[in-house]
Amino acid sequence: MDSEEVPLDLLHIELVAHFVSQKDKIDEALSTLEAIGFNTGYRLIERLTRDSLKFKDELDLMKFICKDFWVSVFRKQIDNLRTNHQGVYVLQDNTFKFLNKISDGKQYLEFAPRYMAFTCGLLRGTLANLGIVSVVTADVTSMPSVKFQVKVQRV
Amino acid sequence: MTIYNLYIFHENGTLLYYQEWHRRKHTEMSREEEGKLLYGMIFSMKSFVNKLSPSDLKDGFQSFKTSKYRLNFYETASSVKFILNTDTSVTYSLVKDLLKAVYAQVFVEYAVKNPLYKPGDPILSLLFKNKCDHFIKASSFYK
Repeated sequence: MDSEEVPLDLLHIELVAHFVSQKDKIDEALSTLEAIGFNTGYRLIERLTRDSLKFKDELDLMKFICKDFWVSVFRKQIDNLRTNHQGVYVLQDNTFKFLNKISDGKQYLEFAPRYMAFTCGLLRGTLANLGIVSVVTADVTSMPSVKFQVKVQRV
Repeated sequence: MTIYNLYIFHENGTLLYYQEWHRRKHTEMSREEEGKLLYGMIFSMKSFVNKLSPSDLKDGFQSFKTSKYRLNFYETASSVKFILNTDTSVTYSLVKDLLKAVYAQVFVEYAVKNPLYKPGDPILSLLFKNKCDHFIKASSFYK
């Protein structure tokens, strides 16, 4: 791993720890983290898309997210992209960066959601700035594998 | 050649981690007691070695050997202490390289960078255990 990534990893750990420290307000903490992720993604994408053309459709955009976007944030591509062609996309990452130091199975599974909130927001913010309003959720059944589900909201 | 067991101690003497492979004889005390005794012995050994040295030591205490086993000691700049017991045919320089690698590639990666691990607490992560086991078994002097 590049050592330049370590500060981000450690900052993310502290970010999560800071917001979930008030134990009874875990839902509030997760939505704060999600909001921070949203703003980060919203700003980040301005910079990342400076060389790309307008995307021809939604699927084209999702492919960009799985490849270039994921590589620039996590140094790897999404392992699997699936869609029902009705606005639901499932992005699967088998070795998710924020989980792969924690466990390689079911141990600590109950703590997984707090390490997903920021990234869900990041995805939602990114898509929002590219004109797609969506709901992003993450599903972890065995660490460090994650399935992000993106539901596009049609207006 | 064989590796018997590994102890990792925190700066303050807490036993962070213990794992054994080919240990055949056990003490009658609990693991914590055994850890305290070992830590105390290492602590004394370090100051003893430093005091009795006829010239300035660069590395200090590294290992000792009995007729049955060799105890290898490696300490990081942050005072994390690794103790690996091997049989007598294993040399210290081999063990030092292994312990350095365990520190950098297992301890730092899967304990320090694990958000659910609080520095100074005993390590309970199964991922850490698996990685550590894997690393030791892959070494050239694990039987």
